[in-house]
Amino acid sequence: MAGKSRWADDEEDKALEAQRKKEKGEKKRAKLEKQRQLEEEVRAKEEEANHPAKRRKLSPSPEKDGSREESRELLRFETGGWGPCRHVNNFETLNHIEEGSYGWVSRAKETATGEVVALKKLKMDYLNDGFPVTALREIQTLQESRHRHIVDLREVVMGDTLEDVFLVMEFLEHDLKTLQEDMAEPFLASEVKTLLSQLASAVDFLHDHWILHRDLKTSNILLNNRGTIKIADFGMARYTSNPPPTNLTQLVVTLWYRAPELLLGTTTYDIGIDMWSIGCIFGELLTKEPLLQGKNEVDELSKIFELCGIPTEESWPGFRRLPNAKGLRLPRDNKAKGSIIRAKFPFLTNSGAELLSSLLSLNPDRRPNAKEMLSHPYFKEAPKPKSEAMFPTFPSKAGQEKRRRRASPNAPKRGDAPGISDVDFSGIFANREEEQSGAGFTLRMV
Amino acid sequence: MHTSQLANPLATVAQLESSGSQLDGIPADLEDSIRFAGARLTQTAGILLRLPQEIIAQAIIVFTRFWIGPEGGSLIQYGAEQVSASSLYLMAKLSAYPKSPRSIINVFAYLDSFPSTFIDAEKLRSKDAEAYFMSEGPYQARRAILLRMESQILKTLGFQLHVSLPYTLCITYLQTLDVFTTHARASDLAKRAFAHLNTALLSPQLLYLTHQPPCLATAAIYLAAKEVGIKLPDADWWEVFDTDREELGFLVVGLLSMEGFATEEKAKWEKRKVPMTVDEVEAEVERRRISNGEE
Repeated sequence: MAGKSRWADDEEDKALEAQRKKEKGEKKRAKLEKQRQLEEEVRAKEEEANHPAKRRKLSPSPEKDGSREESRELLRFETGGWGPCRHVNNFETLNHIEEGSYGWVSRAKETATGEVVALKKLKMDYLNDGFPVTALREIQTLQESRHRHIVDLREVVMGDTLEDVFLVMEFLEHDLKTLQEDMAEPFLASEVKTLLSQLASAVDFLHDHWILHRDLKTSNILLNNRGTIKIADFGMARYTSNPPPTNLTQLVVTLWYRAPELLLGTTTYDIGIDMWSIGCIFGELLTKEPLLQGKNEVDELSKIFELCGIPTEESWPGFRRLPNAKGLRLPRDNKAKGSIIRAKFPFLTNSGAELLSSLLSLNPDRRPNAKEMLSHPYFKEAPKPKSEAMFPTFPSKAGQEKRRRRASPNAPKRGDAPGISDVDFSGIFANREEEQSGAGFTLRMV
Repeated sequence: MHTSQLANPLATVAQLESSGSQLDGIPADLEDSIRFAGARLTQTAGILLRLPQEIIAQAIIVFTRFWIGPEGGSLIQYGAEQVSASSLYLMAKLSAYPKSPRSIINVFAYLDSFPSTFIDAEKLRSKDAEAYFMSEGPYQARRAILLRMESQILKTLGFQLHVSLPYTLCITYLQTLDVFTTHARASDLAKRAFAHLNTALLSPQLLYLTHQPPCLATAAIYLAAKEVGIKLPDADWWEVFDTDREELGFLVVGLLSMEGFATEEKAKWEKRKVPMTVDEVEAEVERRRISNGEE
């Protein structure tokens, strides 16, 4: 009953409102008409004053104005819908590209259209908890990341069983790692700038959308023959928040690109870990060689301190409280403390070195975010970033041949955590201690 | 496969015209009853699992999407209870509040132990939940089904799990309308609007699959303001929130019809259980066939 009376109310109200709207519309029209007449009078007067052409341009036609006000434009979304996964046999495998830590990638052709795509078969190793949450996050974050410099996920297809899941993505000819291995010389300074600003714009988009990539490295950056890079492999990606979630795994990012706070076992981290990886990639693009090739966590951290200097309580407040920092023994010698980034890249301009140093700040809070990075003077000074159209093209390994693989570490795997907390960092400067013991400094920080 | 934080993928006309269940000969009214019961089950289980309402709402929307369209899941093939459990498991897994298969299975077993579908909220807490702990054998079997169903949902939806919800928009709109600073009963209005948004999740008209969050939030505010007696601006304010008069009217009518629908459903099933498994659905279809033949 109550429902009925509300019904009636509603109808009545609508009628009333319609009436009111109509009246209002009429009033408005009357007003506009009046205004038009006024304006016409003015115009007539002006025409008498012999400035017809000029004045006519300035006064807009009142009819047009009126109609614009009556039909307001409402925001509408084109969001698509959903349907069941298609079968993978709509695609024909052409050749195998790569096996990553989370799946096998091959080049394939869609039979119906002849379009070449990259087909990534998801590894379903951890079926204890059902569909792997990492794979779900990869799909979810990729779906949301429509950006010029992020690889496009077209659809997800399935094989004969529910365990055969494939991501259909756009195919790009190269990845930066393989490409650099075959290049005689590193990229030119102008090319590095183009690649780096594309990378930063994609990472800016991700961070803007609360997504951490957590595995940025040259082998996850694809390049086509038109000078455009796209970030791929979201197998480690996840959503973040402000403040950042606690209890995140520190087992992310391939060792050579892993930020010091992760190595020291932090479980609360943020976009800084991606910015560190960008710093590593920057260094690698300049020299064609991965910047920090540690053999294990301990070695990686010691290489980082060699390059970037030793952290102090002033430069990185609170780093001593990180889980793995307890056993850390650092030299107190001033000489060993400083960063050698400037010296290591003699051909880099001052502002370039400044940007690289800031990306490789040990303290994550001191690293610039992607937006700040993009507005860095480095991108404005000479040489200017090379236009994409002027980029050189290279023969594609992924497109034709089986590739030569060099040993390089993969992203950490789940369950890989043989107590990273057990890692003993106390020997990190052991050798140096021996070498320099004569100089009489203490390695123990008190 | 583009997604937006403000919008949802919507059901197509073809998906609304038919369903896998109808193609398999399930009467449309029975399908409505089961979908309604399944959505309520998801809501109840979510509360018992102490999940935030956002996750529960997402699970209900995923559950609803699963059954839509000729290529959607059929009740002859999949039990609504299983789809409900796996929807919750899946959406909780993707959130900051993952739940173990064990918790999900226990809660659904507990809820299944009640003799009728329409139980009072007080009765829900009257039983000792620990008495319904599953032993290892049945647990393993149910767990396998839970995880298999999860993959089946992903396949049927083509991995389209994106759900945007109208709750935050609703608050933002109320702030935009300056309700909180000018009305003493503004929080009653907000509560009523949220209640409508929660109820709309259960709608047989699939409001969340046919309308975007801004429109749902606007309609809930419009109706709640009428009920609470707060006067909103004397203009077409809903257009500011991208809702036109026609859509607003449709949604308000849809929201208002929920009470009648729920009362009818309750009366229809009385003390009986709505069939939530494949076997129960088959038995119900058979029962109807026989009683129709006898008449």
